[in-house]
Amino acid sequence: MKTTVSRRTFIKGGLAGTVVATVLPEKKSQAATFEGYPDGMGVLVDLTRCVGCRSCEAACNEEQKLPQPDKPFDDFSVFDEIHHGQKRRTDETRYTVVNRYDVPGLDHPLFRKIQCNHCQEPACLTSCFVNAYTKTPEGAVIYNPNVCVGCRTCMIACPFNIPTFKYSSAFNPRIMKCIFCYDTRLKEGRPPACVEACPQEALTFGKRNKLLEIGRQRIRETPDKYEDHIYGEHEVGGTAWMYLSSVPFDQVGFDTHVPKEPILNYVKDFLGIVPMVLTVWPALFAGFHLLATRKDWLKNKNEDTHEEE
Amino acid sequence: MRFFSHQRPELPIVDHVKPDGSQWTLKEKLWLGLSGSDYFKQFFRNPVNWLMIGIFAVGIPLLFQRYIYGLSAVTHASNDYPWGLFLGFGLFGMVPLSASGFMLGTTVELFGRKDFHPIERLALLNGLLGYFFAVIFLEIDLGMWWRLYYPMIVSLGPAAVLFLVAWHVATYLSVQVAEVLPALFEWIGWLKGKRIIRSMTLGLTIAGIILSTLHQGALGALFTYAPAKVHPLWLSANFQWIHFFCSSIFAGLSMVIVSSTLIRNFAGWRCDDEFKNSLDDITIKLGKGCSLAMITYLVIKVVAIAHDQEWAYLLTGWGSYYLLELGVGVVLPMFMFAIGVRNNRASLVRFAAVIAVLGIVWNRLNTSLVCFNWQLYQEIPHWKEVWITITIYSLYFLTYRFIVYRLPIVYSWKGEK
Amino acid sequence: MRTRKKMLQATLAIAIGGILLWPEPGRTMEAADAPETVEINSLARLYSGVDFNHAMHTEIASCVQCHHHTTGGEVTDPNCIRCHAKSGEADTVSCKECHSSDRFSKDDLSKRDNPALYHIDKPGLKGAYHLNCVTCHQKTGGPTGCQDCHTMTEAGEKMFQTGQHAPSETTGGEHSGH
Ligand code: SF4
Ligand code: SF4
Ligand code: SF4
Repeated sequence: MKTTVSRRTFIKGGLAGTVVATVLPEKKSQAATFEGYPDGMGVLVDLTRCVGCRSCEAACNEEQKLPQPDKPFDDFSVFDEIHHGQKRRTDETRYTVVNRYDVPGLDHPLFRKIQCNHCQEPACLTSCFVNAYTKTPEGAVIYNPNVCVGCRTCMIACPFNIPTFKYSSAFNPRIMKCIFCYDTRLKEGRPPACVEACPQEALTFGKRNKLLEIGRQRIRETPDKYEDHIYGEHEVGGTAWMYLSSVPFDQVGFDTHVPKEPILNYVKDFLGIVPMVLTVWPALFAGFHLLATRKDWLKNKNEDTHEEE
Repeated sequence: MRFFSHQRPELPIVDHVKPDGSQWTLKEKLWLGLSGSDYFKQFFRNPVNWLMIGIFAVGIPLLFQRYIYGLSAVTHASNDYPWGLFLGFGLFGMVPLSASGFMLGTTVELFGRKDFHPIERLALLNGLLGYFFAVIFLEIDLGMWWRLYYPMIVSLGPAAVLFLVAWHVATYLSVQVAEVLPALFEWIGWLKGKRIIRSMTLGLTIAGIILSTLHQGALGALFTYAPAKVHPLWLSANFQWIHFFCSSIFAGLSMVIVSSTLIRNFAGWRCDDEFKNSLDDITIKLGKGCSLAMITYLVIKVVAIAHDQEWAYLLTGWGSYYLLELGVGVVLPMFMFAIGVRNNRASLVRFAAVIAVLGIVWNRLNTSLVCFNWQLYQEIPHWKEVWITITIYSLYFLTYRFIVYRLPIVYSWKGEK
Repeated sequence: MRTRKKMLQATLAIAIGGILLWPEPGRTMEAADAPETVEINSLARLYSGVDFNHAMHTEIASCVQCHHHTTGGEVTDPNCIRCHAKSGEADTVSCKECHSSDRFSKDDLSKRDNPALYHIDKPGLKGAYHLNCVTCHQKTGGPTGCQDCHTMTEAGEKMFQTGQHAPSETTGGEHSGH
């Protein structure tokens, strides 16, 4: 009995499959191949200039109205803080932190400021299934807390471990991350608070393209002073915030193993098979079904005809 | 439940009518035909229930804590390990173990293998509950759990892998509800409903395969967003989704073997003869499927390592751990399955299935927790997080048992159907 | 926000001409021509200005070390030599004449868009001061702490959340989540 039923329903099954197939790939097709905005702004962070004064941290805290820190911003003992063997990182109370690195063979320490790098093709953005992230034409990667569901995939995806989650809130949690001071400054063409606060101009704000020129100029003209590499020019497909360093980048806490292509490229393999499965599977398995149940069907049919006779 | 057999021959309930000709009421059906006091007597006689009570006594207050004070009250609130046990076990572990639904649905309905029919409903139920509780785990882990439906209607991010997971798990959950409904309809005696669903079986089954292939794979593909974070041995940008999909096949089958074994041993009164008599045979056939899926899985695991030129990693400490996982979690059960099948020893197959189930959970935990951010440090989940995970799993167990005790899952309904 | 902006503007305005140097064109300047002290306070907001002992510094550094080519001294930096080997003494040697105090403003950035411009990377005024002073102090063992040169103002204490604005023991410490 089952097989005759399924014969009839075969069409329905096929139809259902086709509907799924036509509705869903539509949504996949945007799998963006977005290259970033040509006139986007960025910041070039020069480790040879930074003196670890933490002015940027203080300015960010004020600008972004972040909670009061544990220790004042002129307390340099924070550089010795170690959690789980790691130096300080961004968390729900700070969008940016400066860490000290004692590089062997160097008579003075180096400092590195970290914050969101505002990637050209942000992994956080591409991994978000509610589109909470936007890359603005000005270059900022901003976040919309009103649609975020708190799944924290962006935190998994960000190659620089930047986004953090406000775990401490039960009713108003959200992602906390540097937004390039977009609302208050960048939108109006003004430099971010941290850049403005930096006494050393260790943070150079400008069009990303111009910053690359500047970076290359510094390397070209003082080759002894710099590693011949601008971190962020190509890392994860390019970032709006980039770094210059006097020592190999892995000695000052940079992950030098991040891919040179956008994170999305690693996911494309899978996204590519989606339409295939959606369109081929229904036909394939319906076919299997017909083959597998052919004998039963023939038998049933014969019985039917016998009965009629 | 020794209770039943002697004094009350009409129990367990398998029909709408009592021996005296009157109808069982729904309430009586829910109480398994026992009086309230008898029901509780048998309930408290069972040590498992006491264990459950102990787990819930601590777990429920912890859940309140999570919802009132936020995730940081019950987890380490780690920004380096954004996904903890709730997802690592609850989502990434539960979903492959629930692949049974579509596997047996396909085998019976599409390939016409009626010999698997006695276990089909159990497989479907196992699938449904696994997915349902994966969603429960998700609801505990999501920061803004009240926005669960946002990716469906409020703000769509269709280019993201998780979008696909969300849609597919949601759709598939409905498919599975539909697939399990006939059992409920038989039990409450609403035959029209059953006929409607019956007429959709093939469509549902095919939808099940599509959705399952994609979201089982998608769960793996989620990790390809972190190519620089997951240890290279556990991540292959090209093959990750196949690894996850392929391993879900034997995970799902093994899970049905485990749960059918438990049911046969501890709820034998509920099984009918068809189920009991065919179970060994079915178990061995499922074991064969497992061993085939496992060998395929092993081959693509090796292919992935060769493709990404990762041989050198095998010589490191992580490499040993990787080999240990594959050895204990896959190769060992694979041989046990093969030997069990060849010698027709269902007990060996069952033992293999238990190992395979643990092996797959181990693999998912490795991918999402242990080997995630392997260059940083090792995150050990907070005890409260562990306890809540156990609590939800216990709830899963209770629900599972509740349904198996009542609906015609491992027995066939004697009344009209 | 408003008041901050205003304050910044006000301090900037008051301080225009913070460095007063009178060059006499046509010859290389002598250190003796320079003033005894210079009050550097054009950007003072978070920190008070600096009373810069110019006379003392002329004894331990040559003019070009800070003033580049503008004092007419011999230029040695191979990058500067390309253009400034013979450019002689400039009309002005005041830092702020070349190093803009509105670095990173729209104006400043668009000026640097000029493709013919070589000095695309010229620091702003604040950067110029600090890069010049701090770098040299680091090398020569001069003071390098912020407050070694200028004391923090009330506004500074507020932003750095220190001094009277320091986090008390009981508040703060909201993060770390455990
Ligand atoms: S650094 Fe991380 S958070 Fe910032 S844009 Fe890139 S991926 Fe997103
Ligand atoms: S750009 Fe703005 S938000 Fe980002 S670190 Fe700087 S001050 Fe903070
Ligand atoms: S303000 Fe500038 S010099 Fe000070 S720590 Fe930040 S980047 Fe470094």
